[in-house]
Order: sequence, then structure tokens, then C-alpha cells
Amino acid sequence: MDKDETVSVSKGVFLFKNGFKKSLKAKHKNKAWVQSRFRRQPWYDCFQQNWNLFEVHIKELHHQTYSTLLNDIVNYIEFHHMNNDLGSIEGVIPTATLITGVNQPDHVSQFNALINIIRENVTPHIAMTNSQDGSTIKLLVENVVWQLIHGQGMLDNSENENFDESMEYKVPKLKKNQCTMKSLYNWYQNACVNSPSKKKKVNTKRPLIIIIPDFESFHCNVLQDFVMIVSSYIAKLPIVLVFGVATSVSALHKSFPYHVSSKLLMKVFHSHSSPVYMNQVLENIFLTHTSPFHLSGKAFELLTDVFLFYDFSVAGLLQSIKYCMMDHYYGDNIKTLCCARQDIDGAVSALSSHDLESVRQLLSFRPYLEKQSCKIKIKLFEDDDFFRETLCKKMQEIHDYLFSFYSCIRLLFVFIKDLPKNILGKSVREIYSKCAVENITSTQVFRECMQLINFQSQYKLVDSIKDALKSVNTSLQITSPIKSLRSTPVKNNQNDMSINTIGESLMKTIRIHLMMFLRQIESANNQTTLLTDGDENVDIKLEAVPGDRYKLKEKLLRATRVERVQSEYEMIRSRFVSYLEEMFAKALQPPHTQTFHEILFFSDVSNVKKQIVGSPRGAIHTALSNPVYYLQCKCCILPSPESVSDTLPDVSLTYKLHRECGKHINLYDWLQAFAAIVNPTEDDQAHQDPIVQSRFSRAVAELQFLGFIKSSKRKTDHVMRLTW
Amino acid sequence: MILSQNLNLKSIPYKPGGEALDTSQPPMVTNLLGNKSRQNSSVTPKRSTRIRSKPKKYGDMELTPTKRRSLIEYESSEEEDVKRSCPEKPTALFCSDDVDGQDIFKFKSRHTKNDLQNIVKAAVSNSPLMTPSKSRTSRLLSTTEATPRHVTDIIKKRIKREVQSESSESDFSDGSSSDFVPDKSYDESDSSSAPETAEEEEESNEENEKSSSHSPQKVQIVKRKDNRTRPKDSEYVVTPDNYFLMHSSKKITTSDHTLARLKNMNLNDENETIYISKEHEHKIADLVQSYEHLFDRWLYVLSENFNVILYGVGSKRGVLQQFQAKNLNDQPCIVINGFFPSLTIRSILETIVIDLLENSRVPSNIGDTIDLIDSQLLENNVDLFLIVHNIDGDMLRNSKSQAILASLAQLKNVHMIATIDHINAPLLWDCGKLSKLRWTWWDVTTFEPYAQETAQAAGSAARGGGALQLASLAAVHRSLTANARGIYNLIVRHQLHHHKQQNYQGLPFKDLYSKCREQFLVSSDLALRAQLTEFLDHKLVKIKRTYDGGENYIIPIDSSLLQQFLEEQDN
Repeated sequence: MDKDETVSVSKGVFLFKNGFKKSLKAKHKNKAWVQSRFRRQPWYDCFQQNWNLFEVHIKELHHQTYSTLLNDIVNYIEFHHMNNDLGSIEGVIPTATLITGVNQPDHVSQFNALINIIRENVTPHIAMTNSQDGSTIKLLVENVVWQLIHGQGMLDNSENENFDESMEYKVPKLKKNQCTMKSLYNWYQNACVNSPSKKKKVNTKRPLIIIIPDFESFHCNVLQDFVMIVSSYIAKLPIVLVFGVATSVSALHKSFPYHVSSKLLMKVFHSHSSPVYMNQVLENIFLTHTSPFHLSGKAFELLTDVFLFYDFSVAGLLQSIKYCMMDHYYGDNIKTLCCARQDIDGAVSALSSHDLESVRQLLSFRPYLEKQSCKIKIKLFEDDDFFRETLCKKMQEIHDYLFSFYSCIRLLFVFIKDLPKNILGKSVREIYSKCAVENITSTQVFRECMQLINFQSQYKLVDSIKDALKSVNTSLQITSPIKSLRSTPVKNNQNDMSINTIGESLMKTIRIHLMMFLRQIESANNQTTLLTDGDENVDIKLEAVPGDRYKLKEKLLRATRVERVQSEYEMIRSRFVSYLEEMFAKALQPPHTQTFHEILFFSDVSNVKKQIVGSPRGAIHTALSNPVYYLQCKCCILPSPESVSDTLPDVSLTYKLHRECGKHINLYDWLQAFAAIVNPTEDDQAHQDPIVQSRFSRAVAELQFLGFIKSSKRKTDHVMRLTW
Repeated sequence: MILSQNLNLKSIPYKPGGEALDTSQPPMVTNLLGNKSRQNSSVTPKRSTRIRSKPKKYGDMELTPTKRRSLIEYESSEEEDVKRSCPEKPTALFCSDDVDGQDIFKFKSRHTKNDLQNIVKAAVSNSPLMTPSKSRTSRLLSTTEATPRHVTDIIKKRIKREVQSESSESDFSDGSSSDFVPDKSYDESDSSSAPETAEEEEESNEENEKSSSHSPQKVQIVKRKDNRTRPKDSEYVVTPDNYFLMHSSKKITTSDHTLARLKNMNLNDENETIYISKEHEHKIADLVQSYEHLFDRWLYVLSENFNVILYGVGSKRGVLQQFQAKNLNDQPCIVINGFFPSLTIRSILETIVIDLLENSRVPSNIGDTIDLIDSQLLENNVDLFLIVHNIDGDMLRNSKSQAILASLAQLKNVHMIATIDHINAPLLWDCGKLSKLRWTWWDVTTFEPYAQETAQAAGSAARGGGALQLASLAAVHRSLTANARGIYNLIVRHQLHHHKQQNYQGLPFKDLYSKCREQFLVSSDLALRAQLTEFLDHKLVKIKRTYDGGENYIIPIDSSLLQQFLEEQDN
């Protein structure tokens, strides 16, 4: 391509058709530019497959989380629709206000779900208008009316096409600028009221729903007028408004004066706060053993931090996860092993010997290798088939590990969620991020938690064990249909726990042990109370005898001794706690201790962080103050970040000089400083070398382009600094 | 200032290199200097600790409950504060690898007049290019190093002597108020009044810090990562006072020099060469080359409906052109020059809708346009690539065009690759737009000159101080008739004649008319008015109305420029 093609003094936009012709749409080449490069690659297919799986899950989850709220709204709309004929107060519009929260990007899916539900259950006539399409009242009305009349075709044209057609035959297509409330009224009379023929009976008197998803971004005057107009038509048209409010109801009250708000019959609905929603997404989709792709502790922290501290957007979080996943799979065929458990065998056998070689290079393979005998070592390196077999075995093992790891995280969560102070966090994701970074059982916080459990009352402990059993059962249920729980424990001591340290069998033993403890603790109940009763009797007896100091002392002494003797419940409890410690120590090994964890866990955080977060300003600063960082040249190595030298690039040099100045910079002095460094032998100030001068002016222009300075009118030949 | 007074009592580490340079000095003085500084060298650690300690006031203020509350409110915006006040801290967002915020935004110690000059001095003195005859600045440096009270007098006298001896040939001699001229302060310090000495000593301290930082034991190299050394400056003190000091006075404390002092102030654009040293040229080529391996990745990212944004110093056009030529030659692309001064968002939409999709007109409503593009691209099953050079360009900076670009980028069949250069460019996008744009950020620092980008930018600050004005003035002037030229010259002469006047009101119409009659330039006042209207249209003159309703004509150009203009006319 010629360089000059995109430079012009009269044009800023240049089109390169590259052979595109609108008429030749016959050949359906499906994204040739992607296909040629990636389609044949196994890793690409694997990535696509897994991400699609995630997307399906996410959709399901959306559906679940929104369903109750949306059903409430739909019920509200239906209720008002039914009661509409009963002659409510004159000119009052039924309004649903949905408090959505500030995570704007997530709302799109929410409102789309709402539209779908309404369309299925109530009415096909829905209009949704964003603030950008409603900057004036005229535009807003046009937009709304047009959408209502042309109905479902606008929002998604796939569904209910028969409805669509029947409408359009009756009503000639209106131009957009002919859409007014009056034309809407006429249309409604024609379409719904005045045509009682055949199937239209069902269709009559459907309400008209107008959704305004971003209430705050509208001008309040526009909305006020709109409400007033609608209220004058409410007797003839069954309109229901839905406002999406991001902040709080007071925003509504503020923007509507009394005469407007009195026209609204409002009901407020609250949606989940976004952190709750995020926790749901993470726990149900990504922090499960069924998910093929896992985030390492650091990566996980990064993403949740971006969520909690930057945008509160679950959609954004999902995009970041997707990006991590793309990065994980990119160009690496051994990542095809990062798939669902049942596909591992196929994936392993599909690996080429070259791929196997790169699997052998994995760091986590080394500790495993060292444990093996010499013969096996050689075999692992020479015999591809044997290595494949081991790889399969190891991958199965790591999946087993994942199963018990995630189950135990949930188990731990059940036990500690009610503890005071929430040392380990309030959600599964927080516990996960801690467990994934280090071995949690060796940390101080974990010990504190166990200590706190050791103080729990019997009643509470029984409760949490019951909850724990439930969580174990659910996690087991996912893999196998549940068997009868009544199988009695064969071994009665936790010390001889079975050899199974990971996987399903571990969970099964845990279940057995938990049940055993539950029974013991429940039965320990009576005996402990008996014991304390006995103590009290003794006390009463002692108190009955009036004693001297010595006796009191003795009594107190005895009391301490008595207390040290544990009740049965306490004994069981401490045994239980030590069991928990032991069990978690086994199951909650951090992922990076596992062989081949690199395949399943994404850990290249530093790389991805640059792409997800980006630091344009940092990059500019680094480049200008220390060009060696990028250029890697020998001439510009500086002793300190402030120092300058004549070899620096001109922009960098001017940047450094400008940092020494105050708010205003005298161009002349700046130039002299620049010249003195670049060309120290030159003496005459007035006769600057034109080359130096033009270099300087170019550098200044570039600094201005970068936004560090701007020209100032306050003094001739001065520029203003825009940073301090 | 308080800081510097404290420093007065302490000594500065002795720099051995200074003495060696300084052979011409009387031996007594050097000895004295040497002894003194050697004695005091044990005190230096104290000095450094002193500087690092936080000012008490700041710490106190921070702990007040109101401040706390406000901190919590703004927890997401201020990283440092988050660490202090908020219960849940971001753990992975910030790492030691990051460029220090304080490094970019830091409040420097108060900018004094001499900062610029000091750094030049430091650089020149370190420069290997320096010839022996040029060593005077360094001599100046070496002599002012030790600052105990009783030594300063001797030094000052010497400085004065030197400065006086040099001022005859010095290039700094003529600027009486320049911040580029050290001589003045030295001269004044002769009177050794207290504040001035302090100032001088502050300066010399700074100088010393600069020069002493070159000694290896002072530089604290914090981390070494793949040949990239980034020494951190440790003496950072948060003194918010400095911000207010800097912004409190409306007065501009810089010198009164203007570029008019330069003889060759009007550079032609033709001889504006782009200077890059050989080594850098080579390294830049390497750097640009190294970005080519990212191309496949970008494609991959784009194919997953993310968009790509490139940042970093240097023009990224070359890289993008490479990318387009290599990878996008079979797909429709649209290249948008965001830096183009008369770009409109409309023209972008027109190019897509009319030129590419072959429709007859663009719908008036933006939302409809986007829908149309979406449906037609889907229908044709084609992917459109938008390459936006400088999406932060002047004409795209309003939120409306960014919103349109965002909704374009959101479409499934539209892929956007954009570049940004302005440091505040990320402020363009709010949460909603960002979620539509779905950027992936790539650091593509090239150090290539912004040739095209700045060429079309109007009114650059340093463009020879009005060379553009002069050129356009000359151009219009040339196209005038001889009589009109005469009229204009009259106004120019009159203005130059009166340019010393404080508030020059312009040339009254009556006077102009009579003068023109004298020279037979016009015959009626109607003809003169016709000429003046033409001047007004070209903005060659401006009208100023007086209180009595008369019209005064004034040329809105600097008198020095006018002088030059006349000189050019005469030649």
C-alpha cells in the first residue's frame, strides 16, 4: 500500500474496498480472514467450544437471576392491564420503576430479558428508547410510536412474524416523521379495537409498554413533557411506562415536579446489586470443577479487582475472563487438554509428538519426574505412548483434585460464613482467591477460623454440619446419582482416613465422617448438660456451707479444675476441628502444587493485565523519561531519571526540560536550554542553528500533540504546562 | 524554603571529580573546601533522613475524620488512599512494575526560576562533548559545592569575580530578567542579604543533588528487569502546599524573552528536517519490526469481537499501515485520520453507508444509520475494519462522536483498530462506552515522529512564533491590487509608528481616508470602504468602534511581525 494514500488535505476518511461488491453477496464465505489463520488449529476449536459452553451457562444463569424480578414486573403490568377498565383515577399512568444500579453495561441484557418475557406473556407492543434517540420530545415520541407500531420487527425480527405481517397489511408503513401520538391512537383504534374479526379478539386491548432504560441520561424537560403527553392519552391508550433508574428513586422525584409525578402511579422494583450478581456468576460458572478453564489466584484477583474498583460491570468481567481464556489457548496446542473431562483421552491421543515435547517442558512436570525411578524417567522421555498414558492419568488426577478442591472450598465456606469478623471473606470467591494463592491451612487466618469454630455452640455447629452435608451432597450429586445416605460408617476414627486423598472418594469419606460427627455431637447433647448439672449441684452444696477465705480459695481452685475437664461435647468438638484441619490440609492444596496445572490454570497475569487495564499514561511517561526502556540503545543510559543528555530523542529531552518549569514556560528560554544541551559549542543566542531550532519546534509540537502543554495567550511566546 | 534553610546547616557530600577539574583555583581555597566537606561528610546521612521524613502537618491532616470520610468516598479513584482507608484492597491491580503515579503526577519541589538552567548545566557538565574552553559552567558548579557559612563569602567573591570576567563574552549577558541568566542572582548575592543567600544556597544544593546523584552510591536502583533499570527517586515528600504555591499567584514568573530575539525566527516548513540519530534510527526500526509479531494476535482478538487500541509515544501510523497491508488486503477497510482538522463523524458514516454499502443517502437519525449498517453488513456477510488513527483527535473529542464510534465498534461485523496519543485520551470514554468499545490495550511505543499528525494541526505553539501568520498575510497581500496594497501598507505603517503606545486604538477611518486621498489611492470614501470590507473579510484588519461611533482599524498581528512583514515587502 502506498504511504500517501491515506494523507490528504481535503479528506479524513479513506475507503479500501478490497474487492467488496455489494451485489456479489452470493458466495457465503464465512469469515475467511479468521478461518485461513486459525480455523484449522486444534487450540482454536477447543477455545471456541469451551467459550460457547460458558456462554450457554451464562445465559441460563441470567435467566435464573432475572426471572423472579421480571416476573414481578410482568405481573404488575398485567394487573394494571386487567384493572384498566375499572376506571382508575383520571390521567394516571401505571409505572414500574426498576432500580438497576450503576453497572450500566449489564442492563442491556436485563432489559432484553424483560422485553422477551413481556412479549411472551403480555403484549407484542413494546418500545425501548435510549437517551441517545430521545434528545428532544419530538424525536422521543417519533421513536416510541414508530417502535410501537412497527412492533416486534424493530427489537428482534425473528419472532412472531405472523403477528407482524397481519399488522402491516392493515397499516400502511408510516414514515418516521409522521409518527405522532395521534397516529398511534389511530393505529391502535384500527388494529386492536375496531377489528374484532377472527383471531384479533385475543389481541384486543393489549397494553402498550414503553421502556426507558437509562432514566438519568435523559433531559428531565423532555421526560416531563413526555409524561404529560402520555397522561393525556391514557384514557384512550393503555400505556404502561417502565423506567430504569440507575441511582435511586430520589432521582425520579428530583426530575419530576409535583404536577408531573402526580400523573404517575409508581411501583418500585429492586434488582440485585452487581457484586451479588458477580458472585453468582463466578461461583456457578467458573468456580466449579465442571468448568474446563480455571483462573489462577493472581489472575482471579486481578479480574475481581477490576470489577470492584473500576466498573462494577459483570459484562465487563465476563469479557475480561474471555480475554484471559483467549490468551490461555492462543497458539498452544497442548491447551487442547484444557477441555471437559470426558474429552481428555481423545485430546491426548490427538497430540503430536512435538506437542508432547512441549508438555514435557512444563515446569510442574519436573517435581513429578524427580520422584520417578530412573527407568520410568527414561521411558517418559523416549516413549510417547507411555507418556501419553501418564499424561492421561495425570490429567484425570488433576480433575479429581479440582473436584475435591472446589467442593472443599464450598465446605470451608459453609463452616466459616457465620464466624464473626469474616476473616476469610464473605463469599466463595474470596475464599477461592486465598486458597488458590497459597496453602490456606498454613496461614494464620485459617487457624484463627478454626479456633473460632472451636468456640461455637452445639446448636450452631450442628447447623453448619448439616449445611456442610448438604453442600457435599450437592457436589456429589453433580457427578453421580446419590446413593442412600444411611450407610453406616465402618471406621469410627478419623485418624485412619482412607488412602483416597482427592476426588470423589474423598468427598464420600468426608460425607461419612461429617455424618458421624453430626450424630455424635447431637447425641453428646444430653451428657454435657448432665455434666454441667452435676457441677452446679456441687457448687450449690459448697455455697451452702458458710466458709472462710481459705475455703473460698479452695472452691475457686476446684472450679478452675472442673472447668478444665472437658465436657463430652467439647471433646468431640475439638476432635472435629482437628479433623477439619487435617481434611482441609489435604484437599486445599493450592493448584500450583499439582502436576500439569499450567494446562488448566491460567496464570500469565502480567501479560494480560496490560491488555485488559492498559496504562497509556505510564507508557508515555516511561518512554519520555527513560527511552532506553523501549529503544534498548547504548547511548541513552541515564544515571538518574531526571538527568538529561544530548543523545536523547528530542521529544524526550524537551519533555525533561519542561518538567523543570512551572505553570508557564517561556519558549525562548526553553529553546536556549535545549540548544545548550544539544549543541553546547554554539554560543550566539540570537543566531540559533536553524536545524536545532526546527528540531526544537518539532519536539514542542509533539509534546503539544501528546497533551503536555498548550499555547497560552497570557504572555507572548509562552506555553502552559498541563501537568504539574 | 524551610527545607532549604535547614539544609544550610548541613553539608553536601564532597564530590571528588570537581576538584580535579578545578586546577586553576588558588590552593588555599581548594584545601579549605576539601577539609570542610570531608569533615562534614559524616553528617550527610542525617540530611537524607530529614528530607524523607513526612511533614507533620500533612500527617495530622490526614487523620482527621472528615478527611477519612472523603477518602472512603473516593476510594476507587485514588490508589494510595484506597490502601489506607478501605477495608477491601485491590491486590492484583497494582504491582511494583507499575510506573509510579508520583513519578508522573508528583509535586516537584517548588519550581524556581533556575530549574531549567540548572538541569542544562548538569547536562552540559556531564557531556563528553564539552570542550575545555566551555568548562566555566562546571567550574561554577564545583566551586559552589560546599556551603558552610563562612566559606560562602569566599566563594561568592570568587563567583562574582568569575562572572564579571566572563560576562563580557558570556552569552547570557544581555538578558537582565531572564530565568536563563544566573548572573543576576550572583550579582545581588554580593550584598549577602539573608534571603538571597538562602536562595542561592538552595540552588547550589539542588545543583549538588543533581551532580551527586551521579555518584554510584547515591543512586538507588530498585529493580532490574530485562536490562531495564529504573532507579526510583526516594526523596519524595507530599507537600500539597506546593500545588497551591504554584497556582496561587496569577503572575507569570518567567522571563520576558520572546522568540523575536532570534534572528531566523521564520523557518520554512521545507527545511524542517526530522532529526534522529543513527543509533536510534536503527533501534526504532528494530522496535517497529518487533511489533509485527503482534499482528496475528490482533487478528485473533478482533475475530473474537474485541477491538484493539494502541498507545505509546511515537506515530503508530506506520505500524497500522503495515498491519493493513499484510493482513487486511482482502477485507473492506476504512482508514480514518482522527487528526484531520475538518473531519466530521458524518463523513465517516457517509463513507460506510454510501461509498461502501452503496445506498443513496444516510438516514438522518443516528440510531437508524447504525441499524442500517448492521443489517446490511450481516446481509452481505462481510466484515468491515475501521482503522482510526488518533481516535482522540480534535474532531472526535466530543462525546457524541465517541458514542457513535462506540456503537459502530459494538456491531458484530465491525472491527476497530484505533490509536491514542493524548495523555488524557482515556477520559473520553465512560463506563457505557467502554463496554461497547471492548478495548484491548497494546503498548506500541515507536518513537517515530508524528509527521502527519502534527503537520495538519493548526496553531502549534512553537511554530516559529507566527511564521504561519506572516506567511498567510503575505499570501493575501500579494493577491491584492496595487492600490489596496498601498492602503494596507498605510495602516501597517501607522500601527508601527504608534506601537509603543500603551493602548493603541487603531487608525480612524477619517485619517485613513485623507491619507489615501493624499497618495491618490482612492477617489471616494465608498471605494475605500469597499477595500476595507475586503480586508475585514480576510481578517487582515479589525474594526474597533470608539465611543463616539467612529471606526478605527487595527491589525490583529504583533508589531514585530508587522515590522518583518514590511521588511520583506521592501525587499
